[in-house]
Amino acid sequence: MTRPSGTHLSADEIDSWLAGNLASEWQQHLDHCQECLERARAEREIVDQLAGLQLMSPTTGFADRVMAAVTLPDPFAIRSIQATRRRLFASRKSLAVAASLSLILLGSMAGSIVWSLTHPQTLASIGHYLVLQGEQIAWLSLRGVASNLMEQPWYSGLQSLISNPGRLAVGSAVVSSVYLVGILALRRLLALPTQQVAHAGI
Amino acid sequence: MASGRPEWGSLTDQEVVLLARSGQDAAYRELIRRYERPVFALLFRMVRDRELAEDLAQETFVKALNAIDSYRPEFKFSSWIFKIGNNAAIDHLRRRELDTLSLDGSPHAETPEAMQATALQIGARQESPLDTVEAKELGGAIEAAIGALRPEYRSCILLRHVEGRPYEEIAEILNLPLGTVKTYIHRARNELRDALAHLKE
Repeated sequence: MTRPSGTHLSADEIDSWLAGNLASEWQQHLDHCQECLERARAEREIVDQLAGLQLMSPTTGFADRVMAAVTLPDPFAIRSIQATRRRLFASRKSLAVAASLSLILLGSMAGSIVWSLTHPQTLASIGHYLVLQGEQIAWLSLRGVASNLMEQPWYSGLQSLISNPGRLAVGSAVVSSVYLVGILALRRLLALPTQQVAHAGI
Repeated sequence: MASGRPEWGSLTDQEVVLLARSGQDAAYRELIRRYERPVFALLFRMVRDRELAEDLAQETFVKALNAIDSYRPEFKFSSWIFKIGNNAAIDHLRRRELDTLSLDGSPHAETPEAMQATALQIGARQESPLDTVEAKELGGAIEAAIGALRPEYRSCILLRHVEGRPYEEIAEILNLPLGTVKTYIHRARNELRDALAHLKE
């Protein structure tokens, strides 16, 4: 930048001087112009005084008072539609990614619908095959569980208990009693305390 | 970050905001720790009342942190929090200006002195002992001169020369054109220089 002859430093040049990056031709002017030098020095004095102002802090507990009035977001909560939309439109890149994903999703949905409508026979045979396979797997699993059960050492005892009605009745009564006692114990555990607990008010 | 706990010093404001958005209480506290002093100092020098400045600072942080989802990371967090704080201060000063609006004095008053004596000053207040303490805290000729500046000049000069914010950021905070910010700062410096020169005399 060339300096017009006969002109003094402008406010911008004084700013540059304060920041220590005044152009050399202006610096030469400043070295010889008493008026500009006085102005610049006066500005520096003000800036130095401002920079040296006392640091200030709020009273103790400020952060706690702020936090008491702030609602923290739940990380597991589903984001509101508004927040999602804001994030979606935050930049061109996020918008382009979202648009591409939507296109892929809609395209594949439309493709699968069209294919299903034009190939009903293939779809039916695939469905039939899957049902057959499912039935076979379920039957094999059931047989496996049953044979495993019959190989257990306590199986013969259980069989004799079921074959005798008297023993079956006694066994059922014992199981029911244990269940009832368990329920009562659980209710007692979950009941609210009737007396105030000394340390609960912390 | 080490063993799941972030080392706050190594994180940028934007990274801390991301952690805050995921619901981390410590990230909110870190943002408060980083900005409570500069925001409070700006507000105190704007409104010149400690209690009020603290209320406004609290209001600023609560507003900003409750709306953390609306913060756009392409802007500086400092600009955002200063903008909210400065708006709170300017709103308060405007309200106070309306409250202290002097109503005309008695219609029977014939001299200007009589009109002034009978004028109704809504909200005008006497200086309390607390005000005297605050005046001392804000003591010094330079503080008094800052207090006499127009609020817009005051915001600009404080952000530039006390908080050390660049012109571009101040323009963003105050929502003003860059040229206007520069003009306000130069005028504010001139006014401060004149005010201090008068005091020296």
